Amino acid sequence: MSALGSRLNLWWAIFRVSVEERLVYRGDFAFGTLMRFLPMLTQIFLWWAIFDAMAARQGDGTDVNAIRIKGYNLHDMIAYMLLVMLARAFSSMPGLTSGIATSIQKGEIKKFLIQPVDMLGSLLLQRIAHKLVYYLIAIGPFALVFFLCRSFFDAGFPAPDQLLGLVLVLIGSFLLGFAMEACLGLVAFWLLEVSSLAFIFMLLSFFLSGHMFPLDLMPAPLDWIIGLLPFQYLAYFPSAVALGKVTGEELVWGIVVQYLWVIGFWVLCRWLWVRGLTRYGGYGG
Amino acid sequence: MANEKATESDFCKPTSKLGTIQIEPEGIRDLRTGPLVYWRVFRTFVRNSLVRAMGFRANFWLECVSSVCWTVMNLVFFKIVFTYTDSIGRDTGWGENEFFVFLGTTWIITSLIQTFVMPNAQEFSELIRTGQLDFALLKPIDTQFLISFPQMVWSNLANLFLGVFLVIYSVYLLTTNAENPLPFGVGHVVLYVLFLGCGLAILYSVMIAMAATSIWLGRNQTLYTFWFYLTNFYRQPMEIYQQGFWGWALWGLFTFVVPILLVVNVPARILAEPLRPGWDERTWALAGLTVLATCVTMAIARFVFQAALASYRSASS
Amino acid sequence: MPLIEIEKLSKHYQVYQKQEGLWASVRGLFHRQYRRVTALDGIDLKVERGEFVAFLGPNGAGKTTTLKILSGVIHPTSGTCRVMDYVPWQRVNAYRRRFALVMGQKNQLWWDLPAQESFRLHQHIYQIPADQFQATRDELVDLLGLGKLLRQPVRELSLGERMKMELTAALLHRPEILFLDEPTIGLDVVAQHNIQQFLKHYQEARRITILLTSHYMKDIEALCQRVVIINEGRIQFDGSLAEIVGQFHQERIVSLRLGNSNGIDDLSQFGRVTRLQPPQVQLRIPRAQVTSSLAEILNRYQVDDVSVSDPPLEEVFAHLFTRGKSDIKETADSGTAAASDSAASDSAASSAGVVRR
Repeated sequence: MSALGSRLNLWWAIFRVSVEERLVYRGDFAFGTLMRFLPMLTQIFLWWAIFDAMAARQGDGTDVNAIRIKGYNLHDMIAYMLLVMLARAFSSMPGLTSGIATSIQKGEIKKFLIQPVDMLGSLLLQRIAHKLVYYLIAIGPFALVFFLCRSFFDAGFPAPDQLLGLVLVLIGSFLLGFAMEACLGLVAFWLLEVSSLAFIFMLLSFFLSGHMFPLDLMPAPLDWIIGLLPFQYLAYFPSAVALGKVTGEELVWGIVVQYLWVIGFWVLCRWLWVRGLTRYGGYGG
Repeated sequence: MANEKATESDFCKPTSKLGTIQIEPEGIRDLRTGPLVYWRVFRTFVRNSLVRAMGFRANFWLECVSSVCWTVMNLVFFKIVFTYTDSIGRDTGWGENEFFVFLGTTWIITSLIQTFVMPNAQEFSELIRTGQLDFALLKPIDTQFLISFPQMVWSNLANLFLGVFLVIYSVYLLTTNAENPLPFGVGHVVLYVLFLGCGLAILYSVMIAMAATSIWLGRNQTLYTFWFYLTNFYRQPMEIYQQGFWGWALWGLFTFVVPILLVVNVPARILAEPLRPGWDERTWALAGLTVLATCVTMAIARFVFQAALASYRSASS
Repeated sequence: MPLIEIEKLSKHYQVYQKQEGLWASVRGLFHRQYRRVTALDGIDLKVERGEFVAFLGPNGAGKTTTLKILSGVIHPTSGTCRVMDYVPWQRVNAYRRRFALVMGQKNQLWWDLPAQESFRLHQHIYQIPADQFQATRDELVDLLGLGKLLRQPVRELSLGERMKMELTAALLHRPEILFLDEPTIGLDVVAQHNIQQFLKHYQEARRITILLTSHYMKDIEALCQRVVIINEGRIQFDGSLAEIVGQFHQERIVSLRLGNSNGIDDLSQFGRVTRLQPPQVQLRIPRAQVTSSLAEILNRYQVDDVSVSDPPLEEVFAHLFTRGKSDIKETADSGTAAASDSAASDSAASSAGVVRR
């Protein structure tokens, strides 16, 4: 069998096992996914109260939906929150950082030194498998919630070119999320306590990615700084694309920058991995 | 039996002290030393968890930092919101400073719950799973007390200080406001602390009752996650729910059935009491409801806990 | 009046296969398949003050269940039980102050703290006066040789050291009755021996009552005057060790060292030859014939050395328990349905971590 053939076989095996492993818990999965939308309820009421108060200030009889904050009316705001959940379903990598960190600390990475398997490659494959299974099951609750909330999407279903852009952006956010968290996990070669670091990173990305609210709302100096960081491509950018806030040339440039970040973090990942292994080998394993 | 023991202790010296303990009639000891014992045991829990936290000092500080981070992000979010609006909700009285009293109160309550109650509620289902609950049942002290307080995560207390600071600062701004200064006195502080206590008791009861159900349901990660989603509701002013059918339904559910909306709303309302005609009676009605709800939820939690213990059989036969 | 009095005590479990996850649990609330398992099936037992009683039996025979009922952790299904005039499962504080339970497979000390912090907690829970606490602790620490270990976090102690700490914690309030469930499980021979010595010494000095379950015959040989054999929830035997051997084993072991191997093959006429490595020979001879056979052997062979012993206890019990083994498995499996960890669901659980705080 050719080298490529055996490699493909290996990849397929990793992929299949990961899928099966995930399918076992599908009932919990669907229910858990549905529950993740519960906080949305509070968010909807909170934003409604905020917009309502703003309408009241403009005088009686002002329509709540006519009020806009940085271009977002109430419906946009709620649609944004829903779309962020979708984006995070692609870009969040639960357990990736801690998984890498523990396998480094427990010495399980030794097998990657012996076996002809690339650790980052197989992790990515496992992750794709997990995500695919997750979408297979989560599509139910997601479809249900989006259907129930369809009236909040004023712009309607995105146009074909926009949809293509969205798909690219979502794939990009998956790759970026993976690369960023893998880097963080690889820091375990140098630092013992990675879990707290990972938690702080998670908090930061929650805030800086636009998970809490659209980044457009950020006041002047902050929005400029956040624009320079990669976090926005994890949640804000995909949602803004889906809402039709980013179009045309701006969209193309956005995608280019996003993928540059992906390449950047992937290279960093590789570098950390190689440096880490030499350091690890230096200790005599 | 006492005679028998007396001869035995003569026969064998070391048991003599044992003998003297039992001469005192049962029950009276508990009455006499009861509250003191619970205080001493609680103090030992405090001491032990502090010793442990200091054993992992680096972790402790990192945890402090991360919980403070989260709180600051929360503050920044509402600071940004208040650059666009001057109130949360139409005519609710939750202007910026009033709302920050509310937010600070939320932090205080959440941090106290996360420090004292949550770790134990989590640990409780673990005790059931591993059969360690056996040991708690052997101790001559109330079992609910014994499992409610042993673990304390002190790093979560960092937010308490932020909360107290935010409340004091916001109340200061409200009372020194030139146009419409907020009336403020010792009475307000007393009532505030009292209703904070009620709020804590309500959350504690809901949590313990939920944790106790793991005796029937087994260890349940989803149940635990569910709690976190539930807590989302109590962190908002109750007025935001008061619109539309579903809003009122939620409001009713979380005010009368699972009264977690009273937890932060009532103390914050009492302290930041927005000057609004007709509001006074409603505040006091809510306050009365809170006292009632505290008693009822505590009684229910006690009942659920006892029922759970009764059907407990340890994990390994 | 006996210290412990048990009459017709029975315990049945309704066992159902627990499912992981909320969905399955919710489904399980409405639709459950029960399996009735009998842990205890009408036990009668009396224990006097100062006795040291061993419970013996295969896994799941009901030993631990008995201890748990006696300590009030679980309710029996039927029957009565009085310990020092208390009904254990009423969990009266006055009763709970007078006994202790130590379980070899569970630990009650705070894992991340030095043991002395747990001791202090016990002091307050049991309301032990400070001077008495100090005296008892020092004495126990001295007896068990734990002096330097008091300040070490429990997680850093060896299994044997941890067990000694558990014993210390349990004895701080000077219980009159001590229930020990497999106290030496998993320990090495030295640690086992230490703990046996300690228990023996302590029981003799304090005249406390001890009920012990164990798998190790060494424990029982070293410690207990009285043995209660439980199998399939019923008491099969209650008496002294010597009686068991007499009653349940009909053979004795005769070991010989012969001067020469003349006629060595004829030895089988006296009994079953279990080892034949000239000049060493070992054979099993029916109890009643030992004296006559031995006389005959000494007469006929040139014997340099001879010894007569009972078969090892393990063998006696193995023999005992294989009777009616068929149903044991069911009982043994009953309690071990411990739930395994549920795997964290993908994004559902972990990315909620952010929302949680």
